[in-house]
Amino acid sequence: MTSSEQARRRRLVPAFVLHTRPYRNTSLILDVFTEAHGRAGIVARGARAGKRARSGLLQAFQPLLLSWSGRGELGTLTGVEAAGRALVPKGRRLYSGLYINELVVRFLHRDDPHPELFAHYREALRALAGDEDEEIAIRRFEVQLLQEMGYGLIVDHEARSGEAIEADRRYAYQLEAGPVYLRDGDAQADNVTVVSGATLLALRDGRLEGEQVRREARRLLRQLIAHHLGGRPVQSRLLFTAASYTE
Amino acid sequence: MAVSPLIGQLIEALRCLPGVGPRSAQRMAYHLLERDRNGARQLSVVLQEAADQIGHCSQCRTLTEKALCEICASPRRERAQLCVVETPTDVEALEQATAFGGVYFVLMGHLSPLDGIGPEDIGLDILARRLREGEIRELILATNPTVEGEATAHYIAEMAAPLGIKVTRIAHGVPVGGELEYVDTSTLSHAFEGRRDI
Repeated sequence: MTSSEQARRRRLVPAFVLHTRPYRNTSLILDVFTEAHGRAGIVARGARAGKRARSGLLQAFQPLLLSWSGRGELGTLTGVEAAGRALVPKGRRLYSGLYINELVVRFLHRDDPHPELFAHYREALRALAGDEDEEIAIRRFEVQLLQEMGYGLIVDHEARSGEAIEADRRYAYQLEAGPVYLRDGDAQADNVTVVSGATLLALRDGRLEGEQVRREARRLLRQLIAHHLGGRPVQSRLLFTAASYTE
Repeated sequence: MAVSPLIGQLIEALRCLPGVGPRSAQRMAYHLLERDRNGARQLSVVLQEAADQIGHCSQCRTLTEKALCEICASPRRERAQLCVVETPTDVEALEQATAFGGVYFVLMGHLSPLDGIGPEDIGLDILARRLREGEIRELILATNPTVEGEATAHYIAEMAAPLGIKVTRIAHGVPVGGELEYVDTSTLSHAFEGRRDI
C-alpha cells in the first residue's frame, strides 16, 4: 500500500446516510454527509444480505461513525458504528426529513467539507425527531444552508442604503441582491418577492410568529431555493400534498 | 481467443442478468451450447413468451400474463383486506410465511424523492381509486422498514384516513432466534416502542 492510499483511509468519521441505492446483488451505494469531508459516495459491500448485512444501521437519520478507504469517486466502507439513537422524524414530519436530505444532496458537492452545516443538519434532525416546531426547524435549516453555500440571505439591512430593516415596512426581496424598499412596479418584476420587514426580522431571530410571517417566510425561501437550484423542482415537496387523491 | 460473432452476442446478452459478469456469462453460454441445447431452446421460447405476454394485473399491479392475477381472480380471497407491498417477491414471501387470506396491492417500488419517484410512479392514483370504491375495510401496510418504505406507508395511511378505512402497519422488531446484544439500535428501539401485552 502506498502512502497516498494510506492517507485516504478515513476512520470513525461522524456521518449521516442521505440516500442509499441497491448495487449489484447484495451491496449498497451510500450517499453520505460527513462532518469532516462533506458529502461522499461509499460502497457497502454485502450490506443487504447475509452475515454482513448492515442495512439496519445504514439508514437515513441514524447518527453513525463511518470508516472507509479508497480514492476517486467511490470509497469502500470498512466499518460502521451507531453514534447514538436514530433521529427519525415521526409521521408526517418524516417528509420534512426527506426534504432536508434532498436539499443537502442537491446543494452540496462531493468532497466539499462543511462541518458547520453538518452541525446545523444534526440540530435540524434533532428538532424534527423531537417535538419542536417543524416549520421553524425547516426555515432555520434553509437559511443556514443558503448561508453556508455562500448565497447568504440578507435579513437585517436594506440592500441599497444599508439601513436597518423596519418591521412595519414592505420590501421587495431581489433574489440575487437582497431586500430593497418596495416601490411601484417592483412586485411584478422577475426574481422578486414581496416581504414585510417583520418577516425578515423573524428569519433573523429564528422565531416566526403569526400566520402571515410564516407564509411569507415559506414563500421567500422556496423562491430562493428554486432560484439557486435552477430548473428541476424539489421532489420532496410533492409528498406534502398527500391525501389529495382521496379528499 | 476470438469467439464467433453469434457466441459473442450470446455472452453479451447473458450479461443483462443481475450479478453476471463476463466470466460467468461465458460459462453459461458454453454450458448451453455444449451440454444443454434443449434447455437453451426451452429457455429462449419461454423467455420470449414471458417478455411479450407478461404485464401487470389490472387490480393489484403484480406481474401476470392474465388480466387478473391468480390471487385477485380467486373467489376464496377476502376482498375487504388489502395488503400493500413493494414488490411481487414480497407477495411470494408473505404467501409462504403467513395465512393471509386477503388480496394485495403491489407498488413496484417506494416513494423516493431523491430518485424522482413520486406517488403516481408507484400507482397510488390506482390505489386511491380502489380505496374510494368502498370495498376495502382494512389496509395492511407491508412496505419495507426503510426510511422510504416508512414514508410510503405514511403517505398511504394519509390517503386512507379521510375514507374511514382501518390502517395497520406490520410490526418491526427483533428477529426470531436473535440475541438483543447483536440487534442494531434502530431495530431494538422500534421493538421496544412496539412492545405489547402478553
